[in-house]
Order: sequence, then C-alpha cells, then structure tokens
Amino acid sequence: MLEWLSLALLAVGAFFFLAGTVGLLRFPDVYCRLHALAKADNLGLGFILLGLAVQADSLAAALKLLLIWPLVLAASAGVGFAIARRAHALGIAPWRKEAE
Amino acid sequence: MIGSIVRRALLFAGLWWVLAEGRHDGWLLGGVAVMAATWASLRLWPAAPMTLRFAGLLGFLHFFIVNSLRGGIQVAGMALRGRAALRPALIELTITLPAGGERVLLVNTLGLMPGSVGVDFHGTTLRLHVIDERLPVIAEARALETAIAGLFGRST
Repeated sequence: MLEWLSLALLAVGAFFFLAGTVGLLRFPDVYCRLHALAKADNLGLGFILLGLAVQADSLAAALKLLLIWPLVLAASAGVGFAIARRAHALGIAPWRKEAE
Repeated sequence: MIGSIVRRALLFAGLWWVLAEGRHDGWLLGGVAVMAATWASLRLWPAAPMTLRFAGLLGFLHFFIVNSLRGGIQVAGMALRGRAALRPALIELTITLPAGGERVLLVNTLGLMPGSVGVDFHGTTLRLHVIDERLPVIAEARALETAIAGLFGRST
C-alpha cells in the first residue's frame, strides 16, 4: 500500500519535472522559462521527496528528506529573481504575443 | 532574550536530530554544532523586534503550499500547450510591506506563485513579469502580501 502511494507520488513528481523541462525548451524567452523552471520543478521536487519520505526507515530520515525541499526552494526562488533582475538590467525585452 | 536562546537552541537540536537521522552517538559534536548555530543566529538575527508568529507561520505555509501547487499546475499546463498559451507582460505594483525581511520574502516567493516572477524592485515599486496578463496576478500578489504580514505579526 505504502509502496503504491510512494510510486504515485514519484510519478507525479517526474511529471512536473518533465513539464518544467518542456517549458524550458518551448517557452520563448528567459522570463517565461523562469516561470516554468521555478514553479514546475518546485512541485516536482516536493512530490519526489514526499514519495521517498513515505518509504524512509525512520521518522528522522523522512524529515531529513523533506528538509531538502525548503532549502532548494529558498535557493531556486532567490536565483530565479536574480536571473530575472539581471536580464531586465541588461535590457532584455520580454517576448510579447503578436496581435491577432 | 533567554527565551529566544532556548527556543533557537531547541530548534537547532531538532535539526541536528534530523540530520543525524535519529542516531545518538554523535551528540557530543551535535552539542557543539547546536551552540555554534545558536550563537551565529543571535549575531545575524538579533532576538527583537522581528518575531515570527506561530499561527502566522501555519497560515503562511498553508497559503504557500496551496498557491505553489496552483502555480505549478498552471505553468505545467502552459508548457504542454506551448507558446500559444502565453500572453506575457510586465506590470508594476506598489507594495505596502515594510522594508527588510518581509520584502525579501515577497520578491523571492513571488516566483513560485501562480503567474508571476519578480523582475525588479526599487523603493516601493515592484516590477513583475506575468506569464499571462489575463490572470489576476495583482490580486495574487496582494494575497501574498497579506500572508507575509500575518507571518511577521502585522495586519494589513
């Protein structure tokens, strides 16, 4: 039962990582790619860690896995803002949808 | 002062317990690490006046998890539909949160919320990149501001 739950969580996590990567490849500019990477990978990582945590041998080991999430989030959120700010400072104009 | 030392030391001891995966043979080194971490945290982040409220923390965590789920699902859907789904724009927003930890948390968290990434920040003007200008991004940012104000024990 727990194994199936773990499997389902891991599959959901893999889906979000895939979606984030698809966004990175398909989106038109640096800003849109940041949206895809930051938001989708955040969820991908969260679900993968949850999936691993339910299989952990002890409570402490499960918490240790879950602790990775806020640490990576803090780093990726900060880096995402830094990249966007730098791109803006360099004068990179956001891609706009052409009028239909 | 004493209260915040004890609270932080307990927090770091809990962290050590997690990092050591519940083993007991490393507590000598752990004790030194806990004391060093407590000392460093008091130097870097003095006890007053920035105090996080526990109820505000729960409220913020709930808000954060719900909205990062919404944001991730939304952008995953857009990625699968391709760039036809996008309608990006830059918008500006005047924020009311006080300078310091609140604003740092706001700009950094915005990138994980539905539809927005923080781009630039000067004075009280925050510039955001929105992935679809038809989305209610301003309302989302206001809600995040309220959640952060609650976390820091202020009400807007």
